[in-house]
Amino acid sequence: MIRVFRCEDTLTGILTGVYDAWDSRLGHANVRLTSSAVENLELFCEYTDVEPDAEKAGKVFRTVERRMGMEAADMIAYAAACPHEKKADAIYRMIVMGLHLPDGREICHMLTCPEVRLIFELRRKAWHIAHRYMGFVRFRELENGGLFAVIEPEADVLAMIAPHFADRLPLEHWAILDRIRDRAAVHPAGKNWFLLDEVDEKSLSMPADSCEEPYFQRLWRGFHRAVGIEERENRRLQQAFLPLKFRHIMTEFQDQESQDGCGDVSAGECFRMAKICEK
Amino acid sequence: MEYRIVQEMDLMQKLEILADAAKYDVACTSSGVDRKNTGGGTGNCIAAGICHSFSSDGRCISLLKILFTNECIFDCKYCINRRSNDVPRASFTPQEVCDLTMGFYRRNYIEGLFLSSGIIKSPDATMELLCQTLYKLRREYGFQGYIHVKAIPGADPAIVERTGYLADRMSVNLELPTEEALQILAPQKQRSKMLAPIRQVQQRRTENRQELALYRHAPRFVPAGQSTQMIIGASGESDLQILKTAEHMYRSYEMKRVFYSAFVRVNDDSLLPALPGGPPLLREHRLYQADWLLRFYGFHTEELLSEERPDFNVFLDPKCDWALRHLELFPVEVMRADYQTLLKVPGIGVRSAQRIVKARRLGTLDYQLLKKMGVVLKRAVFFITCGGRQMYPVRLEEDYILRNLLDGKERLPYGAGKEPAYRQLSLFDDPRFSV
Repeated sequence: MIRVFRCEDTLTGILTGVYDAWDSRLGHANVRLTSSAVENLELFCEYTDVEPDAEKAGKVFRTVERRMGMEAADMIAYAAACPHEKKADAIYRMIVMGLHLPDGREICHMLTCPEVRLIFELRRKAWHIAHRYMGFVRFRELENGGLFAVIEPEADVLAMIAPHFADRLPLEHWAILDRIRDRAAVHPAGKNWFLLDEVDEKSLSMPADSCEEPYFQRLWRGFHRAVGIEERENRRLQQAFLPLKFRHIMTEFQDQESQDGCGDVSAGECFRMAKICEK
Repeated sequence: MEYRIVQEMDLMQKLEILADAAKYDVACTSSGVDRKNTGGGTGNCIAAGICHSFSSDGRCISLLKILFTNECIFDCKYCINRRSNDVPRASFTPQEVCDLTMGFYRRNYIEGLFLSSGIIKSPDATMELLCQTLYKLRREYGFQGYIHVKAIPGADPAIVERTGYLADRMSVNLELPTEEALQILAPQKQRSKMLAPIRQVQQRRTENRQELALYRHAPRFVPAGQSTQMIIGASGESDLQILKTAEHMYRSYEMKRVFYSAFVRVNDDSLLPALPGGPPLLREHRLYQADWLLRFYGFHTEELLSEERPDFNVFLDPKCDWALRHLELFPVEVMRADYQTLLKVPGIGVRSAQRIVKARRLGTLDYQLLKKMGVVLKRAVFFITCGGRQMYPVRLEEDYILRNLLDGKERLPYGAGKEPAYRQLSLFDDPRFSV
């Protein structure tokens, strides 16, 4: 009989699962972890649900850091953000193996082991997604001067990209909303950023876009169009680097002047006036 | 006599004209410098660079790539902005460039500014304007993102130096690979004048490294280094000449990058070649591949090309081409070969070579694992053994390997020109056959 621990699909959830699975003392061969929500029950398995527990997860994570090194801890944290049905079990196996090695730090190089390789690949994938979003996030300026962006990433990258933007725009109020997970990273000007859970986009009372916003969007679309060389046109290459799934959150691929009553001319005027007022 | 139609232009028109004029410049990278925000401004840089968008030609857009002005006094044959062309002209003011950059940067459209310029009035005046713009952006607007600026050949070294402290990367375009071509197509430009600012920046950077070793907070001079670019296919030079020039720039001028840009015929001029098949994109692609071999794989130009074979085989990448001519060095045993030897195997890149070296210390490898680690077995299989065995029996003969390398259903990179001269026979190829 195999005991399957069903844990929540977060780093905390999975690490709690690791703790509980080990703590059950059934032997590593007799336990399995899963984090996918799919209700596909197997025969000859007992299922146990794992409640995420920050304390247990913290213990596991600190042990990993101490015994297997920062790199392994990083690998696990990044891999946990990526969607994959086998990742929870792979993390468990990797930790088991790492803690049994004389030098746990070796584990990162053991690419011959399938679980380690999976974690390694997932880490890379999560990082790639995060890196792409660092470029593809598009902020809108709101009436109150704050910046707001929406993303729809397949991996949970919010916590990976937020530090980057916090460093980049320290003096701005900004927020990035993860539409899939209903989660937001919020950064008040000059302060630290934080994550907000259970943010429902529909119930948010959003201020309108600022007056300059449509003008800058138009400038950007104009620039984007002008910078391509017709003689070298290669839409396939463009799509390889920038797949269609990203495009609906990006300003330059949205239809011209869809929203907002602020006409083009008046927006330009408005921007000019604002500049004059500043002086 | 000076004719100049003065016309009030709004920012939108100017941006379109000057972005359009700058689009032939290829160096749109934002890499090479890691800088945190100081807490009091806008922007940071990360060493890997970030691509923010991709244009319709598939090139990355990471910087706001604009000319400061396209009112150029030069008359270079290949350039869209040459004096004798009738194109709309515009100039930004430093204020406008700053507003645009900050507006785009805050919305995360761009990673920084790429500021180039036509020569307005004189090189000195132009460089001074660029310098003023950067000063305003850095000091008044507190911009700490990436800035790539052109050094104008012939400008006063003092202004170049001032600009260097404000920019992250500087570049001077060599334009054409040889001096003779330059004399024909850009008579007002001289190679020696172009090399002067490159040398100046290089020397200043060396001194700056010393200063930084002594004082950690000393101002940094062009921290992301220099780059340059050459137009490919505008004059009749061979790949060997181009690559030699590039290697020279890497070795003796410490260039970070040399860019190659396939010549696009924007002007009708008798001195320019006609390009019925469009810009030589595949040639450009092969040159970039060779460029990587020079920088990361420890190859030299003489190994890749020779006087007898001055051009690359467009159907085969330069590394395969090299390996086929040096079959005496193969097969390589993956479990034992050193890193440098692994790097020279077609199908094994820097990453997979590193992974092999790491992983074989802790276990034995097999072909399945190699594939999983990112080795392209389609190419590598002819050149390696793993644990003393080949994956399947292959003959180490040039013809055999060449046929098999080309045999795959691999799509030749964009712009391959013509299809190979053979095709699959079909039962219904008979011309007398009709439905």
